[in-house]
Amino acid sequence: MHRSHLRFLLVSMLAVLALVVAACGGDDNDSSSSSGGSTTAKKSDAAAPGGTDNTKAAEVEGKKGGSITMLAGSDVDFLDPGRSYFTQGYMVIYPTQRTLYSFKPQDSAKPVPDLAEGEPEISADKKTITVKIRKGVKFSPPVDREVTSKDIKYSFDRFFSENVGGQYPGYFSSIEGAPATPTKGVKDISGITTPDDNTLVIKLKEAAAVPVAAALVMPVTAPVPEEYAKKFDAKNPSTYNTHLVATGPYMVKNDASGNAVGYKAGKSIALVRNPNWDASTDYRPAYLDSVNIRTNASDANVASKQVLDGQSMMFDANPPANIVKDLATKIKDQYTQIPSGGYRYFPINTTIKPFDNVDVRRAVLAAFDRNAARLARGGKFTADLPTHFLPPDFPGFEQAGGYEGPGYDFLSTKNEKGDMTIAANYMKKAGFPSGKYTGNEEFLMVSANVDPNKAQSEVAKAQFEKLGFKIRLRLVPQDAVYNDWCQVPKKKVAVCGGAGWFKDFADPQSMLEPVFAGYTIPKSGLNNNMAQLRDDKVDAAMKKAALLDGDERLQAWADIDKMITNDAPAIPFVWDKTTLIRSNNVNGVANGYYTAWDFAWTSLK
Amino acid sequence: MAAYILRRLLWTVLLLLVITAVTFLIFYVLPSGDPAARRAGRAPSPETIAAIRHSLGLDKSLPAQYWEYIKKLVLHFDFGQSYVNDQPVKTLMFDRLPNTIFLVSGAAVIWFTAGVTIGIISAVSRGSFWDRFLMGGALVAISAPVYWLGLVCLYLFSDDIGRWKIFPGAGSYQDAHGLLDKAWTLVMPWCVLAAAFAAIYARLLRSNLLETMNEDYIRTARAKGLAEKRVIFRHGVRSAITPVITVLGLDIGILMGGAILTETVFNIDGIGRLSYDAIQRGDLSTVQGTTLILAFAVAMSSLIVDIMYAFLDPRVRY
Repeated sequence: MHRSHLRFLLVSMLAVLALVVAACGGDDNDSSSSSGGSTTAKKSDAAAPGGTDNTKAAEVEGKKGGSITMLAGSDVDFLDPGRSYFTQGYMVIYPTQRTLYSFKPQDSAKPVPDLAEGEPEISADKKTITVKIRKGVKFSPPVDREVTSKDIKYSFDRFFSENVGGQYPGYFSSIEGAPATPTKGVKDISGITTPDDNTLVIKLKEAAAVPVAAALVMPVTAPVPEEYAKKFDAKNPSTYNTHLVATGPYMVKNDASGNAVGYKAGKSIALVRNPNWDASTDYRPAYLDSVNIRTNASDANVASKQVLDGQSMMFDANPPANIVKDLATKIKDQYTQIPSGGYRYFPINTTIKPFDNVDVRRAVLAAFDRNAARLARGGKFTADLPTHFLPPDFPGFEQAGGYEGPGYDFLSTKNEKGDMTIAANYMKKAGFPSGKYTGNEEFLMVSANVDPNKAQSEVAKAQFEKLGFKIRLRLVPQDAVYNDWCQVPKKKVAVCGGAGWFKDFADPQSMLEPVFAGYTIPKSGLNNNMAQLRDDKVDAAMKKAALLDGDERLQAWADIDKMITNDAPAIPFVWDKTTLIRSNNVNGVANGYYTAWDFAWTSLK
Repeated sequence: MAAYILRRLLWTVLLLLVITAVTFLIFYVLPSGDPAARRAGRAPSPETIAAIRHSLGLDKSLPAQYWEYIKKLVLHFDFGQSYVNDQPVKTLMFDRLPNTIFLVSGAAVIWFTAGVTIGIISAVSRGSFWDRFLMGGALVAISAPVYWLGLVCLYLFSDDIGRWKIFPGAGSYQDAHGLLDKAWTLVMPWCVLAAAFAAIYARLLRSNLLETMNEDYIRTARAKGLAEKRVIFRHGVRSAITPVITVLGLDIGILMGGAILTETVFNIDGIGRLSYDAIQRGDLSTVQGTTLILAFAVAMSSLIVDIMYAFLDPRVRY
């Protein structure tokens, strides 16, 4: 090759290299590789510096008017309050529908009356709940009339039908007349009655009024007018989703006949003011005039930058880890962080030897580098490291020990990177004198084949192998992880490569019982108690605590949390935080209940 | 020719039937999650899942489900409803199809024009600086992943987050009204989508043209005293471009099924995005619908290309 050609080639290659380096920008993976050191603060150790105090933001007297654009990476599951069950849907439902009870942004632990006039009245035998409905709340056009108790009854009736297919019937299965399987068509649920237009009475088959009352924050309690909705609910599936009416300060834009013209599936949702909303009946300020939600912002990096650099914009979910790091270190004042209200954990199958030995499980927890697992999900600015199960800002959290936890040596703030000495001691107690497992069998771990679950399960595999366990990691599609593997006892999955349990309402029973009660393990069907923990003491304590209320209830469930932690049926590895970003000119207020921006409180500066 | 076209159309119908059957089988045989369990929410009882499966028709035998699907499709042009949001699949698809057509058509014009122009220049000035520069650039364009190129363009040129705020950014297509406005928002996506194709076409045409220009009839044309421009375009390019036309037709057909990466990075609601989202969510009916669209587009484009062959090359007869 001639020298001139060689020079030309070299210069070209350097130019290309420069282009690549310039285009790739900053270090996108920095947050994944930085450990940030270990802090054992009494408060959250993952509190990113800066950030807006959500409580203060909610107390700001906002400017009336204006419009916000929300960028969302995916569409809502449903707008129909009887069907929706995910954060995206709740983000639209709660500003547009009035549920019996809801949460102010300042307190995600204590619901306040919304459509209800006051607290639910619970009978002494805990089998009847009576709720008084607020007067003066009206449906949006084209229904245009006042809400009555019958509208809430109809909401429940339709919820249990297969036409609507409510996704959490288990929370209300104790209502008299609640069907075991979805009904064909909308049928009357006998346990829900309306003695007058402003009274709703719920009768239960058992003394479960406390958790059922706590569940009255869920979208199913948003009223649905039967005379308008029944023609849509007669279809299977119901088409009320694209013809819904509102009772909240906002509504999905519709036409005169009720078609939700503002909803373009997979593209956008246009929220406008509900002309029939009466501010004097509502605690929400509703500053904005409209919200335009774009549900197709698929690249989170691009969308995050658009929000941070633009005006009057918000992002619906956690930005990528590199953006979170920039927020914490550079940008500082355009985000809010709130606890996600749940825990992520690796269930350990307590029916498979040697994991049926509690000391072996404690050894696994002691050795486990939880910080490494957290890094796989984005690093220290995205989550706290748990020391028990009830998450921060949740009823019972402080009673269970708060961030410090019960103080067990195998799961404490002092060994977030794992402590092999403590682990070895537990293994010796379990009958392994070398301090490690010496068996030859392979234990099955199943996880999703996409990150971050794939990455976190690889971390988990390595942690088990530190103690001498041989792990066969099987990666499957996300949807198959639970339905086909971890929730199926006969598949004998020794360790599930990551599960999460997040709150549906603010009651500790709902956070612990479905996941760890031995009596919830079904004979057939999908099992939420993936660890298959069967501890008679825990079960008995749960049954007793289910009947309590008030502070006594919280303390009882906090004690159960400690008992479960002591049993070590799972490795809790993160208490997620949700990071929400906004443009500079937005006073964003987040709702800690559904961990998303709250349009009814947000305003422009 | 008419008989040939009719034969091809009938084969297309058979092909589409086979594709729906294969898609059906893939969805059910390979592990992809249970739509009924997904809709059942948290901690569903087996009875609840069974009831949902029944309401979705998933408890029938596979042949019965397939027959139901084909009947609705053929008799009512009904692609079914999305398992995820219950929207009619036909509405979802045909709402997005014009966006994909606009994206692909514009990009096709760019890549064909650029590819042919570059290919001709390179072939005619073979060995020169321009030849090396253009072919080197083509190599870079082929190597650059579309998604990466799209992001680079956004970070450099978009009017919201770009270094030089020139072109409308991601998501702007949705907000644009009118053909010209929408076209302006597609300038970057067109260029990104066209880049690799233009490069491939340039290289393909260059090598074909170089070969053609060595043919005896080209020497004869020159010997007859024809102007070099006429020799190149009338005789050389005309012959060399035939395989490029074939590839153009197939590429357009394939992209009509959705330029997934371009649509995703620029937030364009096209068929590609729809099919990607449907695959992620295990939404069989939408996956089937978009697969049929893709198959139909490829079959039709292949037919059109074959017909055009007969006009481009007089030796070809059907």
